[in-house]
Amino acid sequence: MLENISELEQLLIHKTLPYPVYFAFENKKILSLLREVEENDAAGKHATAVTGGYKLVVPVSEPKKLATVSLSNLQAWLPGLRGDGDASQLPTIAVVASYDTFGVAPALSEGSDSNGSGVVALLELVRLFSRLYANPKTQGRYNILFGLTSGGPFNYNGTSKWLKGFDQRVRESIDYAICLNSIGTRSNNLLMHVSKPPDSIYIKQLYDVFKDVGSQIGLEVTLKHKKINISNSRVSWEHEQFSRHRVTAVTLSKIEHAPDLLEHSGGIADKREKVDPSAVAQVVKLTAESLASYIFGHQGSPIEVFADGSSLAVSHSYIGSWLELLSRTPRVAAFMSKSDPLIEAFRKELSEHTPEVSIHNEPFDSSFVFYNVPKAELSIYQVASVGLDLIILVAVSAYLFILFVVLVISTKSLDDLVVMFRRPPTKKFKGA
Amino acid sequence: MTLFHFFNCAALTFGPHFVYYTATPLSEYDALRTCWKAALVYLGTTLVKLVCLATFLQVSENDNFDVSQESLKAVINLLDVLGLYIALTQLTYRNISQNHKFQAVGLCWAFSDSLLHRLAPLWVGARGLEFTWDYLLQGLESNANLVFTISFTALGSLMWLRKSKPKFIVPLIYIAAAVLITMPSIINYLRQGLSWDFSKVVAFELLASLCLALLTWQLFIACQRPIGQ
Repeated sequence: MLENISELEQLLIHKTLPYPVYFAFENKKILSLLREVEENDAAGKHATAVTGGYKLVVPVSEPKKLATVSLSNLQAWLPGLRGDGDASQLPTIAVVASYDTFGVAPALSEGSDSNGSGVVALLELVRLFSRLYANPKTQGRYNILFGLTSGGPFNYNGTSKWLKGFDQRVRESIDYAICLNSIGTRSNNLLMHVSKPPDSIYIKQLYDVFKDVGSQIGLEVTLKHKKINISNSRVSWEHEQFSRHRVTAVTLSKIEHAPDLLEHSGGIADKREKVDPSAVAQVVKLTAESLASYIFGHQGSPIEVFADGSSLAVSHSYIGSWLELLSRTPRVAAFMSKSDPLIEAFRKELSEHTPEVSIHNEPFDSSFVFYNVPKAELSIYQVASVGLDLIILVAVSAYLFILFVVLVISTKSLDDLVVMFRRPPTKKFKGA
Repeated sequence: MTLFHFFNCAALTFGPHFVYYTATPLSEYDALRTCWKAALVYLGTTLVKLVCLATFLQVSENDNFDVSQESLKAVINLLDVLGLYIALTQLTYRNISQNHKFQAVGLCWAFSDSLLHRLAPLWVGARGLEFTWDYLLQGLESNANLVFTISFTALGSLMWLRKSKPKFIVPLIYIAAAVLITMPSIINYLRQGLSWDFSKVVAFELLASLCLALLTWQLFIACQRPIGQ
């Protein structure tokens, strides 16, 4: 059923409709109403005087364009171990995930897999690596930069702005950027999407690490290459924005083909059922072990830094509870202000595990225009036609008139009825 | 357009009272003063009833017919009887004969009752877009109530204002009065205990009111004959 909704969504998103389309949840009342309308339709009955007339009212003012939309990017910096005499900047690894969604009904776009799963995986990685780096003995000599970016469905607009705002030295110190996108579905095949040619040394090195670790935990990692077309403004994967800024990056995803505009952007069909928390945990473990393997230079040999049952084990309950929260929260960037509670929650969570957290707000300049009414209340009235009111008027008037006549006849006399305007002499009350 | 519906229902609910007033000899006797007095007594009675209900009655969560609560409500309804007694006997009226007094009192009592109980729901509900039969049924109920009240005041005037009555009629009068007094409880029972539809209850009320009116009329005639007019 979710696939049907997903198809319908893709159809509607790319069409221009002359009327608004509302989505509502099914309940008994709506179903009985629908059944009645269908029956009347099938029987060819028109709306009669009493039955069949339904009036749907949505008391909403004319939607206005949203003047300014701002994208909020959060970043958290986990510094590596700086030894004595280590004057140069430590190398950095970036882990990024976009957190916002878009769907045909923005108030229903909770995007559990795209990209709730990515966000949850990133938060768990923050927690694990902050624990690992807490002890100087286990602290790696790499800084880790975590980024929660906005503007994902809109060609990763926010990511691009965030990268532009970087200090050049920081940008040049990034060895790799790992972007997480839609990793929550149950599948043993994880794809690593790259834009650099697969035979480049950097890509080979990274891919080998991931492949090795993957084979140890039962996840098959496949490399997929897609060249960037500079003239085309469409950015299908987040790593493409990094590549445009000359940073080596990959995207880990369970999606095989590069998504089109507004495809896999966390629409209304992307519900909690789509995501398997243990699948997310598996990808977290893969990423964490691979990064640890790279950081500590133990490529090739099996290591278990984040072993199950240890204090650094991947926490299923942490993943589960964040997933529940994100699956209940629609996250369309246009409707999230700078002080949105979810952004504040992210900031708070990141500050608990990392020393430096900052939020960068960028204006959203794109060809997308947003209008301001995501939710409305629908009232359905069963109305009677004017004809019925007229009939009732005639009936009531007739009744009152007859009543009048009966009373006059019974209490006065028939003659009095005829000469109603002349006041008759007072008569004694007659019982009959 | 729905204001139209409001006027229709209001006409059905309050029209008969005005028609009754103008059609029968009441208008000749200029019974307005009687009407005001009766309305005031009704207001007083209702206030006292409300206070008693609020103090003694418990709010039940379910819609079942609770015998003890209903009997308590019935006892409080006796206050209505007291009010009508006061209106019929204690207040002095000038220039109005016995026979018309009970009609005036009954009419005004029923009119104030309808006004207080039915105007507010009508104003709030009948103007909306949604169409239900409820307000028309309420109008019919108000008609039935008018007949009930006038029958009861007729019996009341028989009981309290007329000194000489044929002996065999007296018990009948009391029985009819008792039925009228318990009528609200009966209707409540039908609506809650037997879960009758509103339209069924209103049909029952109309029928019962007509039967009782007929009975009261006959009793009235029977009481009149020996005195002869």
